[in-house]
Amino acid sequence: MKNEKRQLRMLAPEGFRRSLSRRAFLQGGTAVAGFALLANACGGDGDSGDAGSGGEGLASGDWSRVINKSSGTLAMYTWGDYNDPDIIGPLAESELGVKMKVDYYPSNEDLIIKLAAGAGNSGFDIVVPTGPYIPQMIEKGLIQKLDMSKIPNFVNLDSAYTSRDWDPNNEYSVCKNWGSTGYFYNKTKVTRKMETWQDFIDACMNEGSGDCAMVDTAPNLCGMWYWANGYNWNDQDPAKLDACEKFLVDEFAQHIKAFDSYPSTKLAEGAYSLAMGWNGDLRQAYSRIADAGGNPDEWVWVLGAPATELWMDTYCVATGAPNADAAHAWINWEFVPEISIKDLQYHGYNTGLKNMDSLVAELAPDLELGEMIFFSSDQVATFQTQEITPSLDRMVDIMNKVKAKAGA
Amino acid sequence: MTAEIAMARRRPRAPKFALALPSIVWYTAFFIVPIALVVVYSFGAKDSSKLVPVDFSNPSTSSYGEVFDETFFQVFRSTVRIAITATLLCLLIGLPVAYFAAFKVSEKWRAIVLAAVVVPSFTSFLIRTVAWRIPLAPNGMFSKWLQDIGLVGDKGIQILETAGAVQLAIVYNYLGFMILPLYVAFDRIDIRLREASKDLGAGRFSTFFSVTLPLAGPGIAAGVLLTFIPMCGDYVTATVLGGAKGNMIGAMIASQFNQAQNWPLGSAMAVLMIAAVLLTLVVGAAIVWLVPRVLALAEPVIQAWRRAQAGKPRQARVAPSRRPALADAVLHRSLGVWTMLVLTFLFIPVGLVFLHSFNRGNSFTIWSYAVSTKWWGELFDGAVFVQTALLFAAIVVLAVVARRLFKQRVQFGGGYTAWLVPTGLVLALVVNGVLTSWYANLFDFSGIGDAIRNSFVAAFGATVVAVVLGGTAGVALARRPGAWSNAFMVVVFLILVTPEIMEAIALATWFPRIQNVAAVGYVFTEGWGPFNGGMNKLWVGQSMYASAVVTLIVRARLSGLDESLEEAAGDLGAPPARAFRQITLPLIASAMIAGGLLSFALCLDNAVVSSLISEAGSTTFPVALLGATRSTIKPFWGVGAVSLFFVTMASLWFLVVILRRGGASAGNIAATITGA
Repeated sequence: MKNEKRQLRMLAPEGFRRSLSRRAFLQGGTAVAGFALLANACGGDGDSGDAGSGGEGLASGDWSRVINKSSGTLAMYTWGDYNDPDIIGPLAESELGVKMKVDYYPSNEDLIIKLAAGAGNSGFDIVVPTGPYIPQMIEKGLIQKLDMSKIPNFVNLDSAYTSRDWDPNNEYSVCKNWGSTGYFYNKTKVTRKMETWQDFIDACMNEGSGDCAMVDTAPNLCGMWYWANGYNWNDQDPAKLDACEKFLVDEFAQHIKAFDSYPSTKLAEGAYSLAMGWNGDLRQAYSRIADAGGNPDEWVWVLGAPATELWMDTYCVATGAPNADAAHAWINWEFVPEISIKDLQYHGYNTGLKNMDSLVAELAPDLELGEMIFFSSDQVATFQTQEITPSLDRMVDIMNKVKAKAGA
Repeated sequence: MTAEIAMARRRPRAPKFALALPSIVWYTAFFIVPIALVVVYSFGAKDSSKLVPVDFSNPSTSSYGEVFDETFFQVFRSTVRIAITATLLCLLIGLPVAYFAAFKVSEKWRAIVLAAVVVPSFTSFLIRTVAWRIPLAPNGMFSKWLQDIGLVGDKGIQILETAGAVQLAIVYNYLGFMILPLYVAFDRIDIRLREASKDLGAGRFSTFFSVTLPLAGPGIAAGVLLTFIPMCGDYVTATVLGGAKGNMIGAMIASQFNQAQNWPLGSAMAVLMIAAVLLTLVVGAAIVWLVPRVLALAEPVIQAWRRAQAGKPRQARVAPSRRPALADAVLHRSLGVWTMLVLTFLFIPVGLVFLHSFNRGNSFTIWSYAVSTKWWGELFDGAVFVQTALLFAAIVVLAVVARRLFKQRVQFGGGYTAWLVPTGLVLALVVNGVLTSWYANLFDFSGIGDAIRNSFVAAFGATVVAVVLGGTAGVALARRPGAWSNAFMVVVFLILVTPEIMEAIALATWFPRIQNVAAVGYVFTEGWGPFNGGMNKLWVGQSMYASAVVTLIVRARLSGLDESLEEAAGDLGAPPARAFRQITLPLIASAMIAGGLLSFALCLDNAVVSSLISEAGSTTFPVALLGATRSTIKPFWGVGAVSLFFVTMASLWFLVVILRRGGASAGNIAATITGA
């Protein structure tokens, strides 16, 4: 409760704060909203003169809204359910003149092996790796330099999300959106007060044993142990890695029910009563649970504490992209504020534009559960970005062993 | 005689394996060499900084040691346990069904039972597996009902994300592959042998166990091979339903290659898995070989014991015909009920896929307690729906009128109206689709339309490759065996037992290596004609397993046929090419159709190999769906699966009609389809 108040104070603009009630979100029903949008888009084919949401819905302020028309097919290889289907469907066709084809991968490693196997002929134009993986993708020649002259709307991006360590000059990548990691639990099953990663670990090993799901990526699983113990997950001390391995493999693995990076649907099915997850996916869990006839009020979202991660997924252009021109046009278009906010409403991740509060207040006053998208500066202060360290390799090995052990 | 010798002298005989040459080249280029490379990886060390993340500076066998480490080895054990249990369960569940269909029902009902076994497999394998999540969900309707009647506790069904769910779905997924070969084996049994057994006084059970079952031996063996081997390498079922606890070795190997980037370990696991499968089969075969022999040894003892037990052994069997008809009726009835239950089981996920394509909610597996046609685009919107219905009616009327007019000239095998309805429906949808593009905003924007099209093009091309390779190699194996054929059969068998994920990795790393080899590379990078490079890769990848299956089918068919016909043709002066075209080809035609059908079905469902080698422009339906299973599956995947189902049904129905025209019975068609 205290937590929630603080978030409200920090980020939500007035109009938007009033609509934060979880109940209103659920009663409205995202399904209806989504469908209305689709109908809107289909109907609005004729007046495609303006960017995004048709004339009246333009955000005030000084925004760059260049739209470069392109043509042909644009192939994107991305994470599951990561763009508004309306944007990659009819809108991309009417506004950019491109037809999108989208395929999905479950982890950065899967993306890398697929691109490597294609050796410049994978046929994909846009890929969406997470920041720390970019250097090795550059080194292996899997992504090409961006032509920033074709992405003038890049100026709309908040400087906090440009020039990151993995690509200091944004030569290869630009921010798609960013988010954090936390967990979700059913308070009728886990009745204790849950605030930190340590609480989560304890609950998984006791009342939630055999009923909890972990995100299917190595750094997150290991990171959970680091954060719970008050360490930085970029700490490369071999003793800590050993201790992490010992704990996760010998003590923790047996309690895990599944490795699942998108637990929202399965939470609604009732498959888990605790799950670690990314904020956007867990935000969608509320509407899925309501869909399934469950009671969303039984479920609680907790942002990882005392520390947790800040991850950022980026748009890159694959080496040998058949339609690099359309790829640039798409990336540029995604920075148009109206498009960006429309996408944000769908996936529930912060797209990193400037003046996000006023933008949301103007364009998406009805946005629900905003506290799961926008974080207070106190919270952001606890976020750690993954660095590219040799220990990543070791973490992948640990994860591998945990998976084998969990099946025993 | 002299003429033949003279001819033989004139034309130097080609080497015995000449006809198998295409297969030999194909398997060498796309199986032996790439797989050998992957096996080599197992002696390297992990080095994720490289494009192929293996370091060979210090070759060792340490990866093999790691597999035997308890952590990983227990996954091996549980996989073999799940596969053996599932194979036995399939046998136990399927045997009565096959027996019932073969001996207890009329020709018409036989066809219906067999069709009911085959039809569920026309729905995508992957979506049927996903559909099991619906009835098993602890919050689902079924679970709540079970809670209401007090069969399960208030936590609901607790089977998802466990080995139990994997076990259930694996039995489900492979049951058909057990029933059909069993049925064919039963069907081939000379009914007179069973009658003779009964006339000689054997009871119902001893006839079954001493006559029927042994005669069905080859069918049982075929069923066991067709289920056990793919189960061991199964990757999809465990991934979709197994969670952390239901992990299987196939999924484990895949994650070594995909996620852990530990190729040496993955490769060592795959090599050991192949060894484990072969070992299990050898042990199983040894048991099958031993049991009758041990029993035979014990026979005199049993006889003596029986004689000692009963003074008048003959009296009990005086009049077997007087055995109460009641027992027969009960047996018949219970077999019928069992068959109904099994068929219902087979249709549960199919029904759920249909139902959930009309789900009001936003995810496929979660029923929102409300029906909606929104995922079907405009198909069910007034005007479009009426148009389609009118078009359908017109097609049916036209066809019926045409039949009246041409009745004397065109002879259709029975079931004209039966195939008219599905065909007419598909035709109406397609024509109307072209005219009004009702599916535009559905299939277009979710990419399902392209995926379905790609699936068909890929499966069709791969099937053509498989039929040509399998047909020629099968003929060579049956007609020109020699030292080469043993080596060739080993390769064919290896293709069948290699886990799909290993073949996938082998090809995925092999294509980049050959892409600079002049013409070959061009085909796989640029493609040719309307087909892009990715599609050509899919043809190669999907044809591998399929062509091995066709080879076996053609070989089996031909070795059952007398060679004298071809010899006669030769004696009458027909050159080999002509003898092949006019004699051999017609003989193997049905086997090639059978093999073709089976390959087509296999290729259409191929997910693992395809997902690693496909490219952006050649994503197939299972590949796209496999990607979507990682997050939330929207109900439009159900729409896609249902559409795919109808199109497949309609196209296969034509083949059945063609086979029927050839006078084949339901049994022959089943035999053809399973390739027995």
